[in-house]
Amino acid sequence: MKTSIWLREIRRRANSWFIITMLGALVIIMPVAYVVLSFFQPTGENWEHIKEFLLADYVKGSVILVGSVGFLSTTIGLVLAWIVAAYEFPLRKQFKWLLIIPLAIPPYIAAYTYSTMTSYTGVIQSLFRNYFDYQFTPGTIEIMSLRGAVFVLTLFLYPYVYMIALNYFEKQSASYIESAKTLGLNGFQMFFRLGLPIARPAIIAGSMLVIFEVLSDYGVASFFGVRTISTAIFQTWFGMYDINAAMRLAAWLLVIILGIFMLERFLRKGRKYDTNVTQSRPLARKKLRGWTAWLAFLSCSIVFFSAFLIPFVQLIYWSLKTYEKVWRADFITLITNSLVAALIGALIISFFAILAARTINLYPSASSNLLARIMTSGYAVPGAVVAIGVLALFITLDEKLAFIYPKLLGVESGSLVLSMSIAMLITGYVIRFMAQGFNSVESGYTKVPPSYREASFLLGRSMTYTFWKVEFPLLRGSILIGFALAFLEIMKELPLTLLLRPFNFDTLATRTYQYAIDERIYEAAPSSLLLICLSILSVIIILRFEEK
Amino acid sequence: MFVDIQNLSFQYSKKQQPVIDRFSFTIKKGEIVGIVGASGSGKSTLLRLLAGLEDPTAGSIELDGRLIVGDNTYIEAEKRGVGMVFQNYALFPHLTVSENICFGLHKMKRPEKKKRLNEMLELVQLQEFAKRYPHELSGGQQQRVALARALAPSPSILLMDEPFSNLDTNLKSLIRMEVRDILQKANSTCLFVSHDQADVDAICDRIIYIDCATYIGSDKESIPV
Repeated sequence: MKTSIWLREIRRRANSWFIITMLGALVIIMPVAYVVLSFFQPTGENWEHIKEFLLADYVKGSVILVGSVGFLSTTIGLVLAWIVAAYEFPLRKQFKWLLIIPLAIPPYIAAYTYSTMTSYTGVIQSLFRNYFDYQFTPGTIEIMSLRGAVFVLTLFLYPYVYMIALNYFEKQSASYIESAKTLGLNGFQMFFRLGLPIARPAIIAGSMLVIFEVLSDYGVASFFGVRTISTAIFQTWFGMYDINAAMRLAAWLLVIILGIFMLERFLRKGRKYDTNVTQSRPLARKKLRGWTAWLAFLSCSIVFFSAFLIPFVQLIYWSLKTYEKVWRADFITLITNSLVAALIGALIISFFAILAARTINLYPSASSNLLARIMTSGYAVPGAVVAIGVLALFITLDEKLAFIYPKLLGVESGSLVLSMSIAMLITGYVIRFMAQGFNSVESGYTKVPPSYREASFLLGRSMTYTFWKVEFPLLRGSILIGFALAFLEIMKELPLTLLLRPFNFDTLATRTYQYAIDERIYEAAPSSLLLICLSILSVIIILRFEEK
Repeated sequence: MFVDIQNLSFQYSKKQQPVIDRFSFTIKKGEIVGIVGASGSGKSTLLRLLAGLEDPTAGSIELDGRLIVGDNTYIEAEKRGVGMVFQNYALFPHLTVSENICFGLHKMKRPEKKKRLNEMLELVQLQEFAKRYPHELSGGQQQRVALARALAPSPSILLMDEPFSNLDTNLKSLIRMEVRDILQKANSTCLFVSHDQADVDAICDRIIYIDCATYIGSDKESIPV
């Protein structure tokens, strides 16, 4: 191509939409790049100590937790999805969405609820002692340490696998299952010989989400005292006050994540999926009778009771006992802080998600694919890593801007302005949860044919007008789902908020956690309950719009 | 010449063969020209290049004496004054028939706009359907709305990309006649793409045959390859 034509192309594409999108991508990539760069920084004494005595333990803790939770939640999610998709049994319709609801309970809340419930003074042991005169041997049912962390994370993360697998079974598998029936396969054979192999992409996608959540977790692991890389980042930061060593740990965590990505690629290699997309036809379910129907009903009930109803009812009971004590003036501030931070974060995410999804849709190319990858990279980067990167970046920015602060804001020279503000926290949220907003808007765009936009251009309308009058009305549902997902995640987010919040800025999540680690479990209940109710509301909005 | 295309080339990616390779042709004002070719021959791409929806890798296009694409020139689609009827009609599903037709009339004042809307509804015989949404119309009616919407801003040239491919055979012959009448009444210059010889025979003054956007022949007497 001639240089003049190449320049003509650049001039054409460099419109304001494109430039703002690129700025957004830069903001997302910078903190992560900062963390990676720490590999090239000189190391201190602390790092040598960590490397020699602690790193192996941290990695071991993370690997055991990821392996166990990944395997168990994938199994539970997959089996439930198969039962709900392939069979008809009592309350199947209700279970279909009830089994998603556990997502609304942040695992750290479940951790302290279950650990208290199963303790010596908790409801379960007291019940057996007082009514059945039965004493458990210490250590039999208590949810604690690694076992507790695996139990809680499994129970509250399986919905990721369940949702993806259910969607896959319902929409993609009809013709395979029908042909298998004609070949004489029975129910179990059908699951093992057909369900499992064809759902492999869904299984991988769902397990990846679970794995990233586990790697990112701080609340559960720290509550149960499990040593993972995420908890180590906190200890290094708050215990040793060594941000460089914390950055290096974060960089190692990124290396592990990269390894997992490569494993995913390898697992998918040579497999061609989704060949059946165009023939998506709902699956005709087999009606279960007798004990098999009861078995299906019981399996769903047990999971729903343990992963939602039991902890939820317990939290209501505790809240009723303590709400008067906890409901102080500052509780309103907590709610306001949580809502405002989540609202601003989700709005910024939606804004950049729309810009990026549109740019990619408008100019499909290898570089737009890269842009999409950058935009969604945050979901795989643990909150603690994002936090370290953002903090380091903001401190550097403060240093660079120090000379204008006294003139501009009237503060003393050398003051930290940006890194003490809520802007830092919001930036962290935006980076971490951009994927939620972006994926939703991008999938919305697949339902808007490019010819709508082209028709509008040819009728003399500008890019901005076309967006507002043609694309926006058709994308509204997807934008709202993306917004609700981002809002939900921000409301629940703990590690990032703990690390990046300004001094004295508490949210429902941080206050709940604070009460829990102070062993004031009953007092933690009202804020937990409020958090869960707000999350359920977001889940309902998401489910309603997704069905449309 | 009203449309003057010189040495136009286009390829989707560097790894692929050019879809259009040094293609040149002209159209006179008021002419209805048909382009016929097999699938993948580059005929729809040619329309998209003329409309400004794709960027050529080389060559130039002049429209009504104005250079719209050249080495250093690129007039955006929204500023070319070109009308287009898409294969899937691309009617905005959330707007009514009248809102769809008025979409491109933003430069007109309200009374003028209303007058033009009525003219267009009358031209395509859809006066009673003005308040309906596209999904409430039959395929043939949708096709006529798409035509009215494209013609409403009085484009200098109308491009039609396989506009009859979604219609059933019985309806097709009827609609062909209607479109021919509408285009003649509107006195439009039109470039019409189809893979169906019968479409262009019924509508066009002149036919161009292309294969991989290499010019093969023209006029009704030419033999398609």
